[in-house]
Amino acid sequence: MISRRVDAAGTWLLAGSAALSVAAILGLLGMLAIAGIAPFWPTPISELHLRDGRVLLGEVVAADDAAIALRTSETDRVGAAYRRVLKADILSRTQPADAVVAVLADGRRLFGRGEAALPTQAEAPVEVLGLERPNAAGLLARSLGFARALGRFVATAPDAANLSGGVLPALIGTVTLVLLMSIVAMPLGIAAAVYLHQRRGWGARCVRAAVNMLAGVPSIVYGVLGLGLFVHGLGAGIDRWFYAERLPVPTFGSGGLLWAALTLALLTLPVVVVSIEEGLARIPASLREGSLALGATRDETLWYLILPAARPALLTGLVLAIARAAGAVAPLMLVGVVKLAPTLPLDGTFPYLHPSRQFMHLGFEVYDAALASADAIRGVPRAYACAALLVAVVVALNLSAILLRNRLRDRYRALES
Amino acid sequence: MPVNPATYGLLLSPDLVRAAARVRRRRERVRGLLVSAGTALVLAGLLAIPLFLLAGLLPWQGLPDDAWRRLGVLAAGSLRAAACAVLVAVPLGVATALFSAHFCAARLRAWLKPALETLEAVPTVVLGLVATATLAPWLKVNVATLLALIVALPALLLALAFAFGGRVRRDGWLPLWLLPLLVAAIAIGSAIAARSGTVAIMPSSPWNAVLVGLALGCAALPLVFSVAEDALFLVPREQTQAAFALGATRWQALTSVLLPAAGSGLLAAALLGVSRCLGETMIVLMASGNTPIAGFDPLTGLRAVSAELALTLPDTAPAGATYISLLLAALALLVLTALLNRLAEAVRERLRRRLGGQPA
Repeated sequence: MISRRVDAAGTWLLAGSAALSVAAILGLLGMLAIAGIAPFWPTPISELHLRDGRVLLGEVVAADDAAIALRTSETDRVGAAYRRVLKADILSRTQPADAVVAVLADGRRLFGRGEAALPTQAEAPVEVLGLERPNAAGLLARSLGFARALGRFVATAPDAANLSGGVLPALIGTVTLVLLMSIVAMPLGIAAAVYLHQRRGWGARCVRAAVNMLAGVPSIVYGVLGLGLFVHGLGAGIDRWFYAERLPVPTFGSGGLLWAALTLALLTLPVVVVSIEEGLARIPASLREGSLALGATRDETLWYLILPAARPALLTGLVLAIARAAGAVAPLMLVGVVKLAPTLPLDGTFPYLHPSRQFMHLGFEVYDAALASADAIRGVPRAYACAALLVAVVVALNLSAILLRNRLRDRYRALES
Repeated sequence: MPVNPATYGLLLSPDLVRAAARVRRRRERVRGLLVSAGTALVLAGLLAIPLFLLAGLLPWQGLPDDAWRRLGVLAAGSLRAAACAVLVAVPLGVATALFSAHFCAARLRAWLKPALETLEAVPTVVLGLVATATLAPWLKVNVATLLALIVALPALLLALAFAFGGRVRRDGWLPLWLLPLLVAAIAIGSAIAARSGTVAIMPSSPWNAVLVGLALGCAALPLVFSVAEDALFLVPREQTQAAFALGATRWQALTSVLLPAAGSGLLAAALLGVSRCLGETMIVLMASGNTPIAGFDPLTGLRAVSAELALTLPDTAPAGATYISLLLAALALLVLTALLNRLAEAVRERLRRRLGGQPA
């Protein structure tokens, strides 16, 4: 039965490919979940007695066959107290119960045996955020420490070197950017979809051709447009007309939230238009005919009947836009994302939203922490934590829109059947 | 009809009717105007991209030779990265789509598709991070393991198929059984490599085209999969069922009915995959090392066009030679990806017209 053998072989090969795809997905998500959460779990403090009589106290941050890397008390600055110790030189390695770590406001960590033994903070005194005893802590206390660290990461601002502390500004920047993008893209997308739905002339053909042509164009090309046209063109023009008194210092003439939102809106428009137009076309003809028979014009039918009935499709468009916009980091690098912004684009002073300001973004934080961090040992875990948070934000934004869509769809199901 | 003559008369009063009609018409006109204005903005915004790039190239006075050479090196880098990624994404994506469309248990498929869509929703910067922080150290010492796995995994699968293939009844769930097996094979391979102590093939840079290909391939995989699966589902079920009725095995039905009918759809999937790989930025930016090296060696670093745009453009003065060469690169990227997408769309359209005649 050769044909049966061939059948089995082919099936197994294809199944193996499918399994490999699934393995890639699971590996990626698992990696993200573990490596994104692990940095917040309290690490024990080790005490190493070396052959030459020295005693080192600190956290083990890496190890290989021959040596371990230890983070000892950072008395002068963050990331300046790593020691590499050969395993052959270690006499004993213990985790003393009275070891204390002091977390300072600038991100430094100081270690000591008992509070009295903590190294004094040399010159500029810095606020101590907290004292922790990870070695003595039980599971409950460790979990509390974990929750505290996680909360600090999500809800506080980073320190001056962007090596430790929270990512709240980046989180706010990401969400503000996506919301602003939606506010720009949705009305325009609806207008264009309605136009395509109503008209069949050359105008509609032009719009359709443009949408089709630009749907798959890489995001970096949109970034080039954002930089060249919005920032250098429009922005510089606005500066010349309205902010001439500040001029050597650009206001809108450098990258900022507004230009980034416009760039992302343009990036997502093709997707939005196509999905909304498909939604409009799917509304059953009987609905339209009934409305026309009752004396409504085509236009009234569209606005009072078809658009409300197509609300699930509008939300699908929004979901796609958000998914595409929240993940697009490359164009932002051209239009105003920064490593560390002094001010938030959203704050308590009038007019609350500052569209000309530069902003921070979780996706750019990932890139920056992974590749451009001054302290690689802190940078990579921080990048993973940012990545996990970014994926969580994307999933949350997606999920809320999907839930809303499903609720609406249930309400309109009677019409669609 | 008993109607109060007073109201009846009022309702029929020509003034009132006309006033109501006027209000309706005015609303209609305002809405029409809003729609047209919005559409015009959309059209202007979208057309601004090619027009702006072309206008930026107007002060063209020719580029110096080294700018051309640099563009050539960048283009070679992009192509090398895309080639490596396509080698990962297209076989894996098409094979997964074939399995999903033709062999898969319906309940497994209900999970497989959303899982791949999840992968599509993961921002590419995250894939870049995994590549540069986790995959790169592994690949640095495991290039030989990777090569061995590429040969050994299919061989293992074939051996298993010949040993147990006839006996497994419900092979619609096969991927789930094979999953731990594959993971174990990869783990054993790395363990053997680590135990042997020597590195058989040393890449000249830990950030190289193979690494980019693995990460970028994962990014393009969902797109290739969904386009290929759509094409396969366009083939009417009656055709494959007819093949079964004539005594064909599933594999014979696949090669003699499904593939000839939907083959062009698979080609479209590959084209879209290429287009996606050419323009992707964050992964090449993070995993390629950004060293402008030309050549065909997949184990050296590279610098891609998109990465060059992201890294160099923000600090380049407008209208200089570098700026113009970067605009030229962006325009080339735009034209190339738009052409590839157009071509893929045309192929899919033809397929839809040919197969969509009868409802599937």
